[in-house]
Amino acid sequence: MKHAVISCLHANLAAVKAVLNDIDQQGIDDITCLGDLVGYGPQPNEVVDLVRERAIASCQGCWDEDIIEGLNACECSYPSQLAEKRGHLAHEWTAEQLTDINKDFLASLPTSIRRDRILFVHGSPNSQHEYLLPDMNAFAALERVEKAGADTLFCGHTHQPYVRELKNGSIRVRLQNTSNNKAEEKEINLPMRKIVNAGSVGEPRHGSINATYVIHDDVSGEVEIKEVAYDIRQTCQAIIDAGLPPIFAWRLSHGFEFAEQAEDASHVCER
Amino acid sequence: MGRKWLISGSPGCGKTTWILNKIKSNQGACGYLRLIEQANNNKEKLPESLIDYTFLKDQAPHLQDLSDCSDTSMSQQKDFLILIELSQSQSPESLEPAELNPYVKSQLESLRLQPDRHLHFGRDSELPNNDTLVFKKLESWSLNLAKRVWDPQSLNTFWFELVNGAYGDVYRAKALMNLPDGQSIFFNWIVSQKGSQFLPLKTVSPPNGRPESPSALVIQGKGLDCIGIESTINHCLLNDALLEMHQTPLRNQQPEALRTN
Amino acid sequence: MIERWALVSGLKGDLETYELIQSDLKKARGVNTLFVLGDMIGPERNCDALLNRLQNPRRGELKPQCIYGWWEEQLLAEQGLRGEQKADALRLNKGEEAVTALLNAVDSYHLKWLASLQFGFIELDCGLIHGSSADIGDNLTSQTSPLILIDRLTRLDVNRLFTAHSTEQFHLELTGGGLDSQVKELNGESQHQQKVSKQSIIGIGAGANYTIYDVGSDKTHFLTVSGQYNTKGKGFA
Repeated sequence: MKHAVISCLHANLAAVKAVLNDIDQQGIDDITCLGDLVGYGPQPNEVVDLVRERAIASCQGCWDEDIIEGLNACECSYPSQLAEKRGHLAHEWTAEQLTDINKDFLASLPTSIRRDRILFVHGSPNSQHEYLLPDMNAFAALERVEKAGADTLFCGHTHQPYVRELKNGSIRVRLQNTSNNKAEEKEINLPMRKIVNAGSVGEPRHGSINATYVIHDDVSGEVEIKEVAYDIRQTCQAIIDAGLPPIFAWRLSHGFEFAEQAEDASHVCER
Repeated sequence: MGRKWLISGSPGCGKTTWILNKIKSNQGACGYLRLIEQANNNKEKLPESLIDYTFLKDQAPHLQDLSDCSDTSMSQQKDFLILIELSQSQSPESLEPAELNPYVKSQLESLRLQPDRHLHFGRDSELPNNDTLVFKKLESWSLNLAKRVWDPQSLNTFWFELVNGAYGDVYRAKALMNLPDGQSIFFNWIVSQKGSQFLPLKTVSPPNGRPESPSALVIQGKGLDCIGIESTINHCLLNDALLEMHQTPLRNQQPEALRTN
Repeated sequence: MIERWALVSGLKGDLETYELIQSDLKKARGVNTLFVLGDMIGPERNCDALLNRLQNPRRGELKPQCIYGWWEEQLLAEQGLRGEQKADALRLNKGEEAVTALLNAVDSYHLKWLASLQFGFIELDCGLIHGSSADIGDNLTSQTSPLILIDRLTRLDVNRLFTAHSTEQFHLELTGGGLDSQVKELNGESQHQQKVSKQSIIGIGAGANYTIYDVGSDKTHFLTVSGQYNTKGKGFA
C-alpha cells in the first residue's frame, strides 16, 4: 500500500493545501507528517487546524517543541547572529498567534512514530535538531537507522528530499586488550538500510521554490520524491499582511530557507 | 615634471581601480583627491570618500590625501602625480563630460589645483571601457559604520541578500566592513559585473575591542528599502559581549580544547 | 624527541594510586604529558586531598591536564552548575544515598576548579574525552558495535579517540571494509562507496589501570600501578 510522508510545513497554508490535493488525487489516504508544522510562515493556526481536521499522524518537530517549551534550540543551532535574530522574531510571532488548543495539539505530538520496522522522526533518532544530510558519513548514517531498530528511517528537517540506500557494508577490526595478549581480528557484516528524507512542504531548499514530499510503497519498498507547485505569491502576501519581516517573503520566493541551516550539520544541541 | 589629472565617469565604471593601478605604477609622489558635485555641509568625509581613501591608502601607503589642503610641496617634486576623482551620482546625458559644475570648479580653485588633463570613462580610449549601466537617476544611500563590527556569517548573508535584490534594485554597492578578528574587508559590487570583489585590507586592527579603522557602506539603486537594510544590519552587528567572545580566543591562542554547555 | 602520553582516569579520590602512577611515570622513559580523563571524584572516599594535589602538583611531578568525567558532571549538576539539570543519572542508577555521599566527598571549595574543566582535548589527530562527544557517560567498550565507534570518531573528526568511561583497557583498530551508498534526489542518482578509514578507539582503563601512548610509533601500552605492562610487556601497534 502506498502512503505519503510530508514534513516541515512551516505554516505555509497554500503549500500544504497544494500537497494534500496532490496526495488526494493519487487516491492515497495514509499520510504521515514529520513535524515542524509551524515556524516562519504566516498561517500557523490554519496549518495546524488542517492537519488536525485531516487526522494526519504527526511527529513533533524542533519548531513545534520550541513553541511549547520556549526557545529550546541553543544559539549554536543557528549559523549566524542574523539567522538567530530572525528565528527569534518568528518564534515570538508564532507563539503569540497560536491558539491554546493548537499549542496543546503540538505538545501532544510524539517525537517518533514506529510502524513495524519503519521509524518516522523529524531530525534523527538522536534529536529533533540533528540534520541527516545525504552526504553524511555513510557509517554514521547507518548507525542512526540501526540505533532506531529500523529498516527504513523517514526524516525531514534538512528541507532537501532524498532516498539513501546503504548496503554491502562491512567493517574489519583488530582488537587488543589486557586480557588477551594476541590481537583478535574480526569482520562484521552490516545490514542493508534506507533513509528517506521527505523534504519540505512549506520551506523548500532543494534549489526550487516548489513544495516537496515523498510517496512510499511499503510492498515494493519504492520511494518516489514528488515536487508540487503552489501559489507562492499568496503565502508571500500573507507574510507581509501578517507583519512578519518582508525578507521572509523574499527568501521564500527565491527558494532560500528563511534562515540557513547550521553549518555543522551533525551538531546536536546538548540542552 | 608632474601631472594633475581629473578623472570622471559613471558609478561603477572602474575609476578607483584605474586610479590605484596608476598610483602603483608611478615612480614619484602621488596625491589623491575625491570631489563631489554637490556641497556637503558635513566637515567629515562622506562614506563613499571614506571608503575610497581608506582603500587606496591601504593599497598604496605612500599616497597623500589632498582633501584637507593642497600640498604645494608635492608640486615641487619630480614625477609627482595628482589624481582627482570626480564622483558623479548619475550618468551624464552624453559621453562628453559636461562643463564642470561651479561647485567642482570652486573646490579646485580653493585647493589651488587646476587639472592639466581631464579623463572621462566612456570617452577617452586610454581608459578601460567597462560595461556600465546607463542610469538616469539613482537613489543613493549610505551608512557610516565606524566602530561597528559584523558577525562574519551574518555579513555573508546580508551581502548576498543585498546584491540579489532583497532590498530593492541595487546597481552598485561598495563598503568597508570590520570583522571581529581585526580584518577590514573592502566589498565592491556592480550589477553589470559578475560577482562581488572582496579584498581584505593589508592594515589589520588588533583583536582588542572596536577598531579605529574607517567603515562605511554605500549603495546606489532604485526602490531601495532603506529601513529593511538598516534593520538587517542591526541584526548582524556584534554587541560588546559577543565581540569580546569572538576576540578572547584570538588574544590567547591556547591549545585547542573542546567545550560543551 | 620521544613524545609519550600517560592517560589516567577513574581515580575517584584515590591519592595513593595517583602517587604510585606518578612514581611509575618518573621511571618511564619519555613520558612528558599526563592526561587525566575525568572521574577524579567519587562517592566512596573523601576526594579533597587528590583534588588539592591535581591542582598543586609537587616539584618533579608531571603536571596533570584534567577534563571532567561522569562523576564530576553529576556533582556539578547537583550543585546547580549545569543549568536546571540535577544529578538525575546518578540518582536513577545508584539512589539518593550515592548523591549525598558524593556531595560529602568533595569540599565546595573545589567546585570552581571542577567547573572550569574542559569536556575534552583535541591533540594532534587524537580526541581525548571521558565518554565520547555523544555523551559524557558513553560506555564505549571493546564489544561496542564498530558502527557506533565510527560514528563517535566521525563526530569529533579525529583518527584516534581515547575514552575512559567504560574503565576497560582496549585498543580497537579499524582495519578495513566499506559501505555502499546510493542516493536518489530530484535531480538524479549518485553512488558512492565509503571506505573504513584507519582509525582507532583506545580505552585507557581506570584507577590503577592506566595507559601510555607513544605518539611517534602510535603504540599503546596498558599498565597497572605495579609498573608492569598488563600484556606482559608487549606493546600494541
